[in-house]
Amino acid sequence: MSTLTVLFRQMTFALAFLAAMFTAGSAMAADPIKIGLSMALTGGLAGNGKAALLAIQMWADDVNAKGGLLGRKVQIVHYDDQSNPSTVPSLYTKLIDLDKVDLVVSPYGTNLIAPAMPVVMQKGMTMMSLFGVGVNKQFDYDRYFQIMPLGVDSGYAIPNAFFEVVKAMNPMPKTVAITGADAEFGKISTDAARDIAKKMGLKIVYDRSYPPASVDFAPIARAIQSANPEVVFIAGYPIDSVGLFRAINEVGLKAKLVGGGSAGPQFAAVKAQLGPMLNNALGYETYVPSEKMNFPGIQDFLKRYQDKAAAQGIDPLGFYVPPFIYAAMEIVGQAVEKTKSLDQKALAKTMHENSFPTIVGDIRFAKNGEWTQPRMLMVQYKGIEGNGVDQFRDPARYTVLYPPAFKSGDVIVPYR
Amino acid sequence: MRTWQFFLISLAIALAGFFAARLYQNDYLFFAGYVVLQFIVMATAWNILGGYCGYVNFGSAAFFAMGAYTTVVMTKLPAFANRHLPEGLAEIVTAITPPSMPVLIILGGVVAGLVGLGTGYLTLRLRGVFFAIATLALAVVLQTLIVNWDFVGGSRGAYVIRPATTAWLNINYIEYLFLVMLILVVVALTTARAIERSRLGYGFATIRDDEMAAEACGVPTLRLKLVATTLSGAFMGMAGAPFPYYIGYLEPSSAFGLAYAVNAIAMPMIGGTTSWVGPLVGAVLLGTLQQLATVTISSAVSLLIVGLLLVFFVIIAPNGLIGLFNDFFRRKKPEADEARGAVVKPS
Repeated sequence: MSTLTVLFRQMTFALAFLAAMFTAGSAMAADPIKIGLSMALTGGLAGNGKAALLAIQMWADDVNAKGGLLGRKVQIVHYDDQSNPSTVPSLYTKLIDLDKVDLVVSPYGTNLIAPAMPVVMQKGMTMMSLFGVGVNKQFDYDRYFQIMPLGVDSGYAIPNAFFEVVKAMNPMPKTVAITGADAEFGKISTDAARDIAKKMGLKIVYDRSYPPASVDFAPIARAIQSANPEVVFIAGYPIDSVGLFRAINEVGLKAKLVGGGSAGPQFAAVKAQLGPMLNNALGYETYVPSEKMNFPGIQDFLKRYQDKAAAQGIDPLGFYVPPFIYAAMEIVGQAVEKTKSLDQKALAKTMHENSFPTIVGDIRFAKNGEWTQPRMLMVQYKGIEGNGVDQFRDPARYTVLYPPAFKSGDVIVPYR
Repeated sequence: MRTWQFFLISLAIALAGFFAARLYQNDYLFFAGYVVLQFIVMATAWNILGGYCGYVNFGSAAFFAMGAYTTVVMTKLPAFANRHLPEGLAEIVTAITPPSMPVLIILGGVVAGLVGLGTGYLTLRLRGVFFAIATLALAVVLQTLIVNWDFVGGSRGAYVIRPATTAWLNINYIEYLFLVMLILVVVALTTARAIERSRLGYGFATIRDDEMAAEACGVPTLRLKLVATTLSGAFMGMAGAPFPYYIGYLEPSSAFGLAYAVNAIAMPMIGGTTSWVGPLVGAVLLGTLQQLATVTISSAVSLLIVGLLLVFFVIIAPNGLIGLFNDFFRRKKPEADEARGAVVKPS
């Protein structure tokens, strides 16, 4: 058999494969309202991805129990993007073109949301975005709405909350150390922190990033100690945050405030790992059990979520991501009901013009699709004993220092 | 068949495939197809060094990323020129950048080819596993370089916004990317096939079989190895050049992703490393399987598929699918082979 014939055969096989893929995936627009998304169910972001998907499915069940939207049931169509950005463009095209979804919701996290944007924009879909930082700054898409309470200038929300606490201290500290993981989130946060610190007139005595895969943080902790800063701003990822906090405690770093921008302490597993090392540390949170944050429906949601999460082996507290994902879906549902249609342009108009009551409070979107006002909480952890998870259900473990509307106490200094 | 005939026939098949795909009026086919095509180029490129010369490259992702980041540099140049260059010079830079996709692909190829050449020079004394380790180290070094280079976004990543359509063909941009990648596949396959049947290919084969003996017989092994590393790197860079337009947001960890390195090795291994058909078959099979697994099995099974197939082929069919295929036909025609004196039956 000649090579050319072999080639022909292989090409035919390939085309047959692709054709099979096409026909298998196509479906007639069925009765339920289909909501499509890809979610990180495996890979690095799977912990949050699974929690997010659970919240989305809980919302769909709740809505369907009440009769659905516009008299139609809701169906969630989802794929696993494996926390891999290069899978996202084709998955969103499949959702829109083949699965014929009526609405789309973004994947979880900036790296995964950005690749979905060109596809979603080209198809003119309105998209509720889940925990992306500053994505729409690049695309300026008027049908993009983001649920994380970062506010219009999203990269600044977390460092700003930290430095607002610093500003309110008496006397105000004069020196600061800034460190973070050399990856997207860490870099955005440390860049913003540097900018804010300079504007406040603080002297930056240490300013270094570290590779996210670092394992030995003692040199970093020692270098920070030798610079003798009054406050230390840290913007790491969960694993390196744990390493850095451990090193800081082992070295016995003396500083008034430590923490602020680390992804990690929001999750039950990291809270439990760090245990008493979190005492007096600062961390950002989106929600904590506090009297001032007792929004209608949130307790019920968290109770139901925590029951299911325990069975699925995902974040047992679920304070950080799940309530906001549920709220994002509530907004989608309310917008559909208000618009009385699935027309994407009309939906975006409704979402821009209205305020939406959700389980995390009333949400209104600014022109760029972010919350009109940031609402990241800067929290100081206290009274933590041992490594049990249950203690973190107690409001007394958190003092909300910022923003003023949710403030529940005064800052305690020093960290050690 | 002569090389130009092969090129024209493959081009015709590719264009027929493109127009057939357009009949479906479905973007998903183009998005999924683009990924498969990209892997055909990567696998073919890997095979030029790994299959023909026997030098295993674990750093394929680095060459791919070099192509991708060349595109990022080109897209960032106009804004840079407007801010930092004198007006006249800035006007010239903004007029010529970012260049069209074919030019970006050539630039990506040149940059990655030069990196390949450099790697060849630096690692010419290394053989076998030591060469493989050096390529792995190269990937780490280049990733660190990119992470610390703010102009291309550093660790923050860079946004590259693709237009909705192309001006001159007036087709959807993803269709354009698919078409460009299809042509690149034809070029890569034609080059691989031409190498295979040329003095260069025989030279590569001598290196693969016994480098010392080849050197002793007067084969210029050093020069040939440099040609192989450069060509292999250049094609990987070319495969990476359109990637920022495909994904829209490029950051180091996705550009240097493990999947590229693993697939670039696994696809030729599964298809067969001794001929240009092997990487093509391996990439089409594995690439399509991965795309299917992503939308059906809904888990990271796709990388598991690569691993399992790799183990299977290493044990059962070390010469890949093409080797299995050849063995099968050789067994079917023992009489004919015997007549030619190819097979001697034990008495």
